[in-house]
Amino acid sequence: MRSATPSIREGLGRVVEKLGNLPAEASLDGLTVLAIRDYSLNYNTTSGPFEALKSINLEINRGQTLGLVGESGSGKTSLAWAIMRYLPDNASEVSGSISLLGENLRGKSHQEILEIRGRRISMVFQDPSTSLNPVIRLGDQIAEVLVRHRGLTPKQALTEGEALLATTGITKPAEMMDRYPHQASGGEKQRVVIATAFACNPELIIFDEPTTALDIITARQILDLFDRLREETQVTALYISHDLGLVSRIADDVAVIRRGLVVEEEPCDRVFSAPQHQYTRDLIAAVPHPNRRIASPAPEESASDLLNMTGVSVRYGETSILTRIFQPDRELTYGACDVSLNVRLRELLGVVGESGSGKSTIAKVLAGLQDFDGSLRFNERVFATRKSINTDYRRAVQIVFQNPDASLNPRQKIREILSRPLKLYKIVPRSEIPQRIRDLLSKVLLPEEFADRYPHQLSGGEKQRVAIARAFAAEPELVICDEITSSLDVSVQASVAKLLVDLQRDTGTTCIFITHDLNLIRQLAHRIAVMYRGSLVDLFETNEAENAERHSYTRALLDAVPVPAGTESSPSP
Amino acid sequence: MSLGYLTRRLFSVLLVLVIVSFAVFAITMILPGNAAVMILGEYATEDQLLALAEVLGLNRPWYIQYFEWAGNILQADWGMSLRLSLPVGEVVGDAFWNSASLAVTALVTVIIVAIPLGILAALYRGSKVDLGIGLFAYVGTAMPEFVTATLLLVFLAGSAGGYLPAGGFIAPNESFPGFVSHVILPAGTLGLILMAHIARQVRSEMSDVLASDYIRAARLKGLRERTVIRRHALPNSLAPAVAVISLDIGYLLGGIIVVEEIFAWPGLGRLLIYALENRDLPVIQAITLLLAAVYALSNLFSDLAIAALDPRVRY
Amino acid sequence: MSDFARHPAGVAGAILLTIIALAVLFGPLVAPYDPQAFHTTVRLQGPSADHWLGTDQFGRDLLSRLLFGARSTIAFGVGATMISVIAGSLIGVTAGVVGGWIDSVIMRGLDGMLAVPDLLFVLLIVTMLGAGTGEAMLAVSIAFTPGMARISRSSVLSIRTREYVLAAVARGESQRYIILSEVIPNAIGPIIVEGTIRVSFAIMIGATLGFLGMGAQPPSTEWGLMVSEARQFMYRSPWVVAVPGLAIAVAAMGFNLFGDALRDAFDPRRSR
Repeated sequence: MRSATPSIREGLGRVVEKLGNLPAEASLDGLTVLAIRDYSLNYNTTSGPFEALKSINLEINRGQTLGLVGESGSGKTSLAWAIMRYLPDNASEVSGSISLLGENLRGKSHQEILEIRGRRISMVFQDPSTSLNPVIRLGDQIAEVLVRHRGLTPKQALTEGEALLATTGITKPAEMMDRYPHQASGGEKQRVVIATAFACNPELIIFDEPTTALDIITARQILDLFDRLREETQVTALYISHDLGLVSRIADDVAVIRRGLVVEEEPCDRVFSAPQHQYTRDLIAAVPHPNRRIASPAPEESASDLLNMTGVSVRYGETSILTRIFQPDRELTYGACDVSLNVRLRELLGVVGESGSGKSTIAKVLAGLQDFDGSLRFNERVFATRKSINTDYRRAVQIVFQNPDASLNPRQKIREILSRPLKLYKIVPRSEIPQRIRDLLSKVLLPEEFADRYPHQLSGGEKQRVAIARAFAAEPELVICDEITSSLDVSVQASVAKLLVDLQRDTGTTCIFITHDLNLIRQLAHRIAVMYRGSLVDLFETNEAENAERHSYTRALLDAVPVPAGTESSPSP
Repeated sequence: MSLGYLTRRLFSVLLVLVIVSFAVFAITMILPGNAAVMILGEYATEDQLLALAEVLGLNRPWYIQYFEWAGNILQADWGMSLRLSLPVGEVVGDAFWNSASLAVTALVTVIIVAIPLGILAALYRGSKVDLGIGLFAYVGTAMPEFVTATLLLVFLAGSAGGYLPAGGFIAPNESFPGFVSHVILPAGTLGLILMAHIARQVRSEMSDVLASDYIRAARLKGLRERTVIRRHALPNSLAPAVAVISLDIGYLLGGIIVVEEIFAWPGLGRLLIYALENRDLPVIQAITLLLAAVYALSNLFSDLAIAALDPRVRY
Repeated sequence: MSDFARHPAGVAGAILLTIIALAVLFGPLVAPYDPQAFHTTVRLQGPSADHWLGTDQFGRDLLSRLLFGARSTIAFGVGATMISVIAGSLIGVTAGVVGGWIDSVIMRGLDGMLAVPDLLFVLLIVTMLGAGTGEAMLAVSIAFTPGMARISRSSVLSIRTREYVLAAVARGESQRYIILSEVIPNAIGPIIVEGTIRVSFAIMIGATLGFLGMGAQPPSTEWGLMVSEARQFMYRSPWVVAVPGLAIAVAAMGFNLFGDALRDAFDPRRSR
């Protein structure tokens, strides 16, 4: 459905486009590429209109990067959709304008928007595994943008696409063009997505949390790539993230958004040195910083070991006869390989690694959920198999899981969930159970009335507190926390971490804290263990983290996790 | 697609067929009365029954009978029909091709109609088109074949103002127009419930695809909606569509029994009803095994088709 | 639950089901005529003031026959499905909970039984057991059990790996507690949804059996039987086959709609 006769201006515009982007002239600096003025957006829901964005005023100048920081539900993603003009049917734009180089996007027809998308504004998405079409080759997915907007032939597009892949740091671009998404790693896929976004030299690129779904080291590489491309192309970028610390490294200006309102908009260094709004200050305080310790006092050097793991390995892929007949290609994989670790009494031991490192496998072994080879020594008793783990051990060792939505039985009230360990281990006589439940709830800073609620009536952070309360209800000697803060918002993360540390200090419980967040663990832990591909590669006191004798992988991790800019000098608030 | 996978799947099919044959054989063992009674009838004397049972080998242990029977089957000796005094192979063979012509016609019609309907419904989700197709789907899946057949017959065939023959069969090689006029009603009946079900499933699959992140990404690249549907959405919904169709072949094989009976179509279904009513065991066993084999093989083919369509599936 | 009410298909299904339930429970009480009574002067009539749905080849009132037959047709479907749900769930839950080679063996057995199309399976069993409503119901239950077992097993398997179940295992809870308190209350949803939808298939197969003469026997007023008895007269009065035929379709649709609405209500993506 082509329009009948393109206007002369459009025709001229196309000629200019075909010649390539206008060079960055000095006179164009300071040019406002994106201007959002008094923009408000509602969603019409069954329970009335929901104000997603309220009077947003933002500007991005040419060559600048604006970091938009907000937690879940803040509306940051809605803003991205609004700019791309990809709003759901129940969205109604109440007021305001969104302008690209002075042209009001709200007034454009659908056809015009299609011309703009991918060509003048493009987007890099959060999860490369889902934003690439699984049945189309990567090369074709880059090429189609070039064919569509730059008028190249398919063959030219493929060649150009290969060149673009090379600029994003892919070592064998020709091979990558031929692959399907499932044949590429997360980092490689994200580079393809970034290449596609840059392909038509757009005026504005929106980055929607591009590193959130990636491993630490890969995330750092993508971040570096973004930095380099920013330098080279002077692209104008809107970088959306929930991570204030991360944004501080790469943005020129930072806007903080909360519940649809922009509460702060400053140049980056001013945001950290002189935050205006209380929420910003809270966010800054919540960002984990290694120099801000929240740990309980360290146990003495000579403290005895509570637990010893010796030569623990976990093999997956054991086959029964039937499986061997029907699936002979199943390989043996190792979840953990010959791990030997000691846990000192009353310490908080951090276990750090990326996904697939085996840290969760170890947690499951210690919680008695996973068969293993090797031995565990706990309280003078040695356990060589999962089956030999007895009730005493299970009472003394408790685990808290990552996903708050799945760790509580949705059909049980909080009261029932908390009373289970009390009844099972006969911690208190029946008559005292209600009181004990009240005590537990108050220890995790939850109101008493929550005892009568169901899990779905609680927020993620509240559910996680209940899970922690459940673990401590058994009066354990060791609590294993498997990425308990990873699914939570930044501000909630900090409070849950602090809660754990307080509980540990008050009860003298030993704690193993598993996470991928190095900055967080350096705040909390006394010692840190580093895992990589199933093996334990490093174990050190927290204050020795930056010593020279650290394992190369540890150093790579430390390099990959930047300490938030502008916070080096700020002491704990 | 590795040869190893293919072999393993074929082995699976074989295993399933063995289990089915066992079940079929077991059922006939549970039968009140045995083959001797069937042949000689109710009024035979005790002695006659015993004598015949001896001749037929019915007094031997069940596992010996089973292995002999299974062995015969594998050597393509399907036995003799108890009622028709003809080799089972012959009788079933003819019926098989007649059923095949009906089933294939129905299946092709279903694929041509139902898949586009489902896709349309997903593309225009929430519109009147979608509601209409949805209504058709709900009604269609609620009508047993005999109801559809009866209603179609009443309105489209029959003595007063009938447009189509009410039953019977003409082979395609004898007279193609004749074949077509006779196949319309039975294939339509068979196809209706399948069309309804498949359209609904395809709609649901396609809706999922359209709501996916990669479709959103494609749209945000500025691609025209036509391109998005054609290049991005459709290829992803083909594999699930194949899966649904292969599941529904089971319904097809069941429906064929009733449809052939009503329309006097001389296929396996009609033969089966006859055999069931007359307790013609060898025929019953043969047809059951055959239908189960067809179903299992069609599942295998659909797995192969899915592997060809979806690059992520690598066996 | 208020979400459910806003789902038009669910509301439609619920309404249909209510009508059906009333027909099953009170049909014979409110039927205007004796279902077997001949009214020879008004044979093969369409709807009229006296006979709201018309009459059949013997002049019997179709509405009354329908109301009496509701029990044979619907209760058949519900009964057969319930038996298969209970039997299937027992097998499936056992397989899912126990795991190991027992699970593999059960799965292979189920696969074998599922390789035979439903109607075929039912016909075979009915032939062996003899014709009749009770035999037909047993046959349908047996035929549906493998499918229900599959659903129960997969439901259990998906719940078994949820973290709250792992937490219970880590605590050292007894197997009994885990199954009864953690797994089953959460696994039941998909089983109920599938069961509801299966009722519509059971009704259809039951009616088909009645039609083929292998299910309910005369003088029952089972709806499938009604269609088969009236077949030869259908050209003279389409009502005589359309009325019971459409009644079957409406009943099956009711359960289908309701089951779909249940599925959406249980779907975690929808629930808040």
